Amino acid sequence: MDKLQYADVNRDVVRSLVETGPRYYAALFIAIGVTLACFFFPWFYQLYYGIGAAGMNHPAVWGTYLASFIFWIGLSHSGTLLSCVLHLTNSEWRKAMYRSAEAMTLFSLMVAATMVLVHVGRPWFVHWTMPYPNQMELWPNFRSPLLFDVMAVATYLTGSSIFIYMGAIPDFAAVRDRTSGWRRHMYVLLSLGWRGTDKQWHRLGWAYTFLAVLIIPLAVSVHSIVSWDFAMSIVPALHQTIFAPYFVVGAIYSGTAGIVTVMFVLRKYMNFEQYITRVHFDNLGKLMLVLSLIWTYINILEVFTGWYSGTSTELEAMKYKMFGYYAPLYWEMILFCAVAPLLLISKRFRTSFVPMLILSVAVNIGMYTERFLIVTTSLSRQYLPDAWGLYVPSLVEVSILIGSLALFTTLFLIFVKIFPSVSIYEVKETMATPKRRPSEEGVPQWQPTS
Amino acid sequence: MATHIIGLFHGPDSALAAAGKLRGAGLPTPELQSPVPIEGVEEVLGVKKAVIKRFTFFGGLIGAASGFLLAAGTAVLWAHPTGGRPIITIPPFLIITYELTILFGILATVLGFLISARLPAIRERIYVPEAAVDKFAVIVACDDDEHRGRAEAILREAGAEEVRASMEQS
Repeated sequence: MDKLQYADVNRDVVRSLVETGPRYYAALFIAIGVTLACFFFPWFYQLYYGIGAAGMNHPAVWGTYLASFIFWIGLSHSGTLLSCVLHLTNSEWRKAMYRSAEAMTLFSLMVAATMVLVHVGRPWFVHWTMPYPNQMELWPNFRSPLLFDVMAVATYLTGSSIFIYMGAIPDFAAVRDRTSGWRRHMYVLLSLGWRGTDKQWHRLGWAYTFLAVLIIPLAVSVHSIVSWDFAMSIVPALHQTIFAPYFVVGAIYSGTAGIVTVMFVLRKYMNFEQYITRVHFDNLGKLMLVLSLIWTYINILEVFTGWYSGTSTELEAMKYKMFGYYAPLYWEMILFCAVAPLLLISKRFRTSFVPMLILSVAVNIGMYTERFLIVTTSLSRQYLPDAWGLYVPSLVEVSILIGSLALFTTLFLIFVKIFPSVSIYEVKETMATPKRRPSEEGVPQWQPTS
Repeated sequence: MATHIIGLFHGPDSALAAAGKLRGAGLPTPELQSPVPIEGVEEVLGVKKAVIKRFTFFGGLIGAASGFLLAAGTAVLWAHPTGGRPIITIPPFLIITYELTILFGILATVLGFLISARLPAIRERIYVPEAAVDKFAVIVACDDDEHRGRAEAILREAGAEEVRASMEQS
């Protein structure tokens, strides 16, 4: 990164915002199309014909919607959380990638919230979960983990949006000076009149650090609370004390893998080769390796606790998970999330882009399977054998799962054209201070093409 | 109407040195504009008070109180006894308290940031666009020609690449 100058960073980032090729439009068009066809249409169908359109039925009354909810919340965990931790530990390598990682948090949270709306039968009554005075004298039950979820996810969404926005204010100001037309108006508003004075930098530094300190425990609480949605029930294989750390580790794990996927795409298609380098993949790979080991350990522990309890229901639930109807999925999860990541021990693997992409996608497939298994295996084998039953997702559910991926992609594609996806000022901080220029012609002005 | 003398520097060190000299020469405390936060500003221009921490602290405190009051208060007003357990149940209510502490803490931090950094800017102020790219600007307000001359001389002596004057916009 030594060859880059300060002005190059501004130029490259502004270019990524204003220069839009046909490939981008094609991707956006497809993403929007798939979102409409696979997400909104089946949802509308389900609303019209009733929740029976989904495959959920007694005893497995939770299905892929909730698995997707946990998955998307989990994916959201690495972005802001990782960014905050790395900010507080002064990690240089965070600076080129944190913006898009945080965006991932934001959008996966939005998709997660939408999955809850899809799951509940009557989403138009969702405001009933909000605590506000009303004439029905109806108040949410604050003793329920489901309501903890509402509070935690709402707080996390607010916190992550504020965190990503606050870190981007100086960049909006830098972009504002170099754009024209409607973009300029937008950035004038977004930058709030930032000038980059010593006082403003000082205030931003403090506020940003405070936010990071507040968000780290928040993020940990969010996924712990999501785990309690399950662990607070007395269903075998769900009623476990290990669930909170299990979910938090799983979340950070799948989130880190998600960042690798997003970094690969940004690097390749947004021309950020000079900013997102092998160093980032190497470090993310190390992180993934550690997380996969912790995750594997907790999985072993889960089996051990089940076996050691000696309870027939726990033993049955365990046996069913490992050797029952869903067993192929279980072993696929072990392969993708516990065995395959061992490749990350090799530095050559960590610094190769395509293998890292494949592994990161595999890990997330494995992690989705994990969530699916948590929801379905436990509910389909509860205490009474005459209440056992299988759950298989319906076409509507599978379609909405694919559609949710497209929804996330659409939001992300819109994001990369509005937010500078690489932080301008923080990348500059990692560079040597500018040299005196031989001529005083001023900075080479970037001319928007449109 | 005060004139602002602006000196552009290529590096943070020379800009800081110039700001220190200006301050030492009895001119008003200069303002710096830079593309990145400058290390060591406080040693030259004096320690700044961070009022934001008060906002965060009291925001968190108010959040904690309102979180607990929300959960416990509504539980008392709309009592829903279950199995003889207490109406005000501490462990679950602490979770609501915890979440609202953080929510209010975050919102108060943002408020503190906006107030103390004077954002959003309503009034136009001196702005050096180059400082958003790769220049470090030192800006000093001068009331008369004597001050202006001195400021210019100091800035040039400190190695400014460019010195210019700007009328304050009102």
